[in-house]
Amino acid sequence: MEHRLDVSDLEPCEPLERTLAALTRFEAGDYLRVLHRREPRLLYPLLEKGGFSWSVRSGETSQFEILIWRQGDQVAETAALSR
Amino acid sequence: MLNTTSLSLDQAPPISVPFRFFLTAPLFAIAAGIQLLVFGEEIFISRWSPLTLGITHLITLGVLGMVMCGAMLQMLPVIAGSPVPRVVLVGTLTHLLLTLGTILLHFSFVTGSAPVILIALTALIVGFVVFIVAVGIALWRLTEPSTTIQGMKLAIVSLAVTVAMGIAAALGFSGIGRIEYLASLTDAHLGWGILGWIGLLLVSVSFQLVPMFQVTPEYPVWVRRHLTYSLFTGLLAWLLLKLGFVDSEWIDLPAILLLGLVVLGYLLFSLKTLQLQHQRKRRIPDVTLLFWRLGMYALGFCALLWISGVLFSSIGDAPHFSILLGIGLIQGVALSVVNGMLYKIVPFLSWFHLQNRQMALMCMTISVPHMKEFVSDRSAKRQFYLHFAALVSTAAAAVVPGWFLRPAAFLFVLSNLTLLLNLASAVRRYHTTLKLLVPSAPACTSEDNGTD
Repeated sequence: MEHRLDVSDLEPCEPLERTLAALTRFEAGDYLRVLHRREPRLLYPLLEKGGFSWSVRSGETSQFEILIWRQGDQVAETAALSR
Repeated sequence: MLNTTSLSLDQAPPISVPFRFFLTAPLFAIAAGIQLLVFGEEIFISRWSPLTLGITHLITLGVLGMVMCGAMLQMLPVIAGSPVPRVVLVGTLTHLLLTLGTILLHFSFVTGSAPVILIALTALIVGFVVFIVAVGIALWRLTEPSTTIQGMKLAIVSLAVTVAMGIAAALGFSGIGRIEYLASLTDAHLGWGILGWIGLLLVSVSFQLVPMFQVTPEYPVWVRRHLTYSLFTGLLAWLLLKLGFVDSEWIDLPAILLLGLVVLGYLLFSLKTLQLQHQRKRRIPDVTLLFWRLGMYALGFCALLWISGVLFSSIGDAPHFSILLGIGLIQGVALSVVNGMLYKIVPFLSWFHLQNRQMALMCMTISVPHMKEFVSDRSAKRQFYLHFAALVSTAAAAVVPGWFLRPAAFLFVLSNLTLLLNLASAVRRYHTTLKLLVPSAPACTSEDNGTD
């Protein structure tokens, strides 16, 4: 299931805080679509440590879209990357 | 799909490296304020008075230099992905030698002791050479430098020029070396320190930090691409004229015109920054924005004051003109922006290191404080108003020292004491939370035994 989080207008490090908070509520098959005005390069080491995978692309309504799912969750990964 | 690079925290220095720079800086400011409180009017007699020179260097080296060096060591891996080589050793040496050199330089200015000034200059030369070489390696190895990195390179070159001229001026001032045209050399040292090292670093990091931290639109491409190079070129041409043709009377006008172009460049930067800040979507200003706005207004004020001083001799020849300009640039612009940035950098680093530790251990039951919880907004805003009051009263003291000097010094001490306590409370909170994030804590799943 897709969860959507728009952090485009937030000051650092609220985008990171809100993204990480959203990940703690994940269930199997869930993935998160984060809309951001910048590429959140500092988020990646935290995702890596927490056991998450991610993919970044240019967004339609925001500069960047970051798709995040739990490592090994094939359902979530397929759903995230098929969008 | 975009090609993304992950930043590794392993590239950044341990948090103790930047923290020691940031916590030392307010101590020098407090020391400067106490001396102003005790010795009073002597400071405004002339820019050449020993105490004026001593206190000025406590602020420029001990406060501004300290924070700027600490921040660069921390920021390079984060914003450029280029870590400073041997960063712990470089950070330790730079911090120690800068601290020792600043204290001894101040002592030697006040006492006139030649042996002490030689030790002070040696400490400062070694400290700055270590810093400049290490940061230079990190900056010049980047193959595709951003506009921020290009500006930082120019700032580092300016620091080297400032230090070299400062050493020569100090030797001349103390009588150890025979330096001709000491006044011109000191002007050039001051110009390159403020408009080169401090100014160029401020402009180049603003290109990255203002849109990022204050959620404003980006600076226009032409500003990012050309401003720092134009400022540097103008300063270089001004320096060559100033020192190369020091005996010639004809250089006065071209030198002033060149410096005028540099000043106009800074005026443009301040107006553009204020415009971008005005366009931000969030209407509630946080404390960092208040400090930055004050800094930008002070920059605009100083530029207009300097232009007025050039155009009208009644202003330019006024006894307090250069002191007022120095107060505006150092206390109004540089200290305001540096102070404001500390309220972002220290909580951010604390939060990020703790979050990194929490994710490594998957200790999700232990809550990491939000970034805004490291320093209370109320206390930070109180410090901003103290800083503002200190600035206004110091400017007033330049004109009427008898009335305003001691209140200004008292407010300055109080402001920096509050800053120190605010930063210390953030560091304390960091350590308290870090102690909870251990592998043996309940609900921690990782075997990671590393520490930040």
